[in-house]
Amino acid sequence: MKLLARYNRVTLITTVVVMLITGIIYYIAIHQILINDVDKDLEVEENEIFEYTRLNNHLPQVFESNDQQISFYEAQAGSVKRRYIDTLYKMAPRTGRKWRHHGERYETGRGLITAVATGGRYYQVLIVKSTVETEDLVQIIFGITIGVILLLLFTLFIINRLLLNRLWQPFHNLLKELRSFNIADNKDIPQIDTTIAEFKELNQAVTSMSARVKNDYTDLKTFTENASHELLTPIAVINSKLDTLLQTDNFSQQQSKLLNDLYTAVSRLTRLNQSLLLLVKIENHLLEGNRDISLKPIIEEIIIQFEEIFQDKGLKITSELGDKQLHTNPYLIDVLLNNLVSNAIRHNHKNGEIRITLANDRLSIQNTGENIPLQTETLFKRFHKSSSSEGNGLGLTISRQICDNLGYLLEYDFQNGLHTFTVLF
Amino acid sequence: MKILIIEDEKGLRESIEEYFTEDGNICETAASYAEAIAKVNVYRYDCILLDITIPGGTGIDILKNIKQNNYPDGVLIISAKNSLDDRLEGLDIGADDYLVKPFHLSELRARVMAIIRRKSFSGNNLLLFNELTIDLQAKSVKVNNVPVKLTRKEYALLLYFIANKGKVVSKNAIAEHLWGDGIDMANNFDFIYSHIKNLRKKLMEAGSNDYIQAAYGMGYKFTDQ
Repeated sequence: MKLLARYNRVTLITTVVVMLITGIIYYIAIHQILINDVDKDLEVEENEIFEYTRLNNHLPQVFESNDQQISFYEAQAGSVKRRYIDTLYKMAPRTGRKWRHHGERYETGRGLITAVATGGRYYQVLIVKSTVETEDLVQIIFGITIGVILLLLFTLFIINRLLLNRLWQPFHNLLKELRSFNIADNKDIPQIDTTIAEFKELNQAVTSMSARVKNDYTDLKTFTENASHELLTPIAVINSKLDTLLQTDNFSQQQSKLLNDLYTAVSRLTRLNQSLLLLVKIENHLLEGNRDISLKPIIEEIIIQFEEIFQDKGLKITSELGDKQLHTNPYLIDVLLNNLVSNAIRHNHKNGEIRITLANDRLSIQNTGENIPLQTETLFKRFHKSSSSEGNGLGLTISRQICDNLGYLLEYDFQNGLHTFTVLF
Repeated sequence: MKILIIEDEKGLRESIEEYFTEDGNICETAASYAEAIAKVNVYRYDCILLDITIPGGTGIDILKNIKQNNYPDGVLIISAKNSLDDRLEGLDIGADDYLVKPFHLSELRARVMAIIRRKSFSGNNLLLFNELTIDLQAKSVKVNNVPVKLTRKEYALLLYFIANKGKVVSKNAIAEHLWGDGIDMANNFDFIYSHIKNLRKKLMEAGSNDYIQAAYGMGYKFTDQ
């Protein structure tokens, strides 16, 4: 539920309930006040009757009037208890077109039952006044109240909508910035234009957080780069010492095996190190220098380059290469193609197959291998590799990074026993 | 030939010096900018091995100094900075080649020899080794004037061997020289053996001596002794 909807619901329900309660109290209060007024009038009438009977010693003449009826009934002495009642007021039949068909009509009325003794007889007196005008007044007041409630609700609703939408705008802007936040790029979260203290605070918190995160990330990258760099020199020394050691004469079978293993280990270390450095550089967008390149001859060159390795593993390679021109970084393309082809070789079985297809919108490299699809969610993760792999687990990570960097898509698919990596340009 | 090694890392400097020192070669070393600039401005070398990051300055400045004074020395940059910018900057200013650390000494030597050949045999593209004649321009090989048809990799291998003659060259180094980084995915270097066998067979069939010796299962040695 949106905050605005939630807020609207709460305020509207509260307003309605409060207004209804107010209306009811209002209604009751006004009703009561007006009834009291009528009661006072009735009392005045009663007093007049008492006065008249005291002076004249007989009941007064009863006049019909439009809003008041007085009637006398003989009653047992002392049997009448003085009280006010809500009753009906029987209207006098009126003449005139308007009233023609109505005959007797009743209106709400308020009555006072009292008693008067005169001429030795005891009478019950009923004075009834029409309260229809009072009721009308109450109804008008009630109507106005309801009208005000509705108007208020409507106004609140509109104001909430317009004002809150506008008030929340900085929040939405900030949210948009957060969504597009990328730890690797150089764009910072900008200062949102707002005068609202809460949003300012949020903005500040987010900005400082993003700056901190970026800083940490940069530190980490710098560390990786520096560590890799610092490692290069000792590796170079080991390498050169091994080469020098090789020049000294006469190694036993065992010694030469040890030396071979050392060479292999140093060689893997070197590659791992170079891969890490390359990864940092790609992530930092440090590699520039786009040129127009034609992919076909580059791929052909790679196929020739790997020829002996294909032969050694008995791999059958088929290629279907169309012409494709790119304006991009030739070094990265070289690394990408080398990685993908290397993968196709490394994860192939003996006498397997590799197919390379270059079309205008895509380059796909397919290879036979283990007959189960790879896990796509971990495929491009750093240092993720199959247990049998001789690689350093960075090849596909680098390939993915390069594709991201150059604006291509790298996809994996497994069908009919063929692992397919596709670069979509 | 006369070589100057400008490298501050002692272990590496000594290895290079040892690898290059032989009859007829003079190796000098410099471990800092000041030392290097002093030598560069006084003596001429066939090739200068130049580290980019050295105490007291940068290799790039030394290179600029060499080029400003029009010294004819060949310059090979050896650097831990495997960045394209550096490589381009170095080559733009006039370095002859660029090699990234870590490297095999045999690779370094092959590069140095290539630079020296380019510098000193200008106009004459023939490389001679006993009965072998290699035309660097035409990339062709003759044994006693009998042409030998070599594949591109066999030719590169022969040049590599001649540049490192008398040295044991490891299989790793050969593989990396011929196949570059792609060699990573080969589980073993057995296919190098068949390559070398082919080269040796072709040369001997054309009447050459057998110069290629296997060395303890770790590598090969090209020698006429």
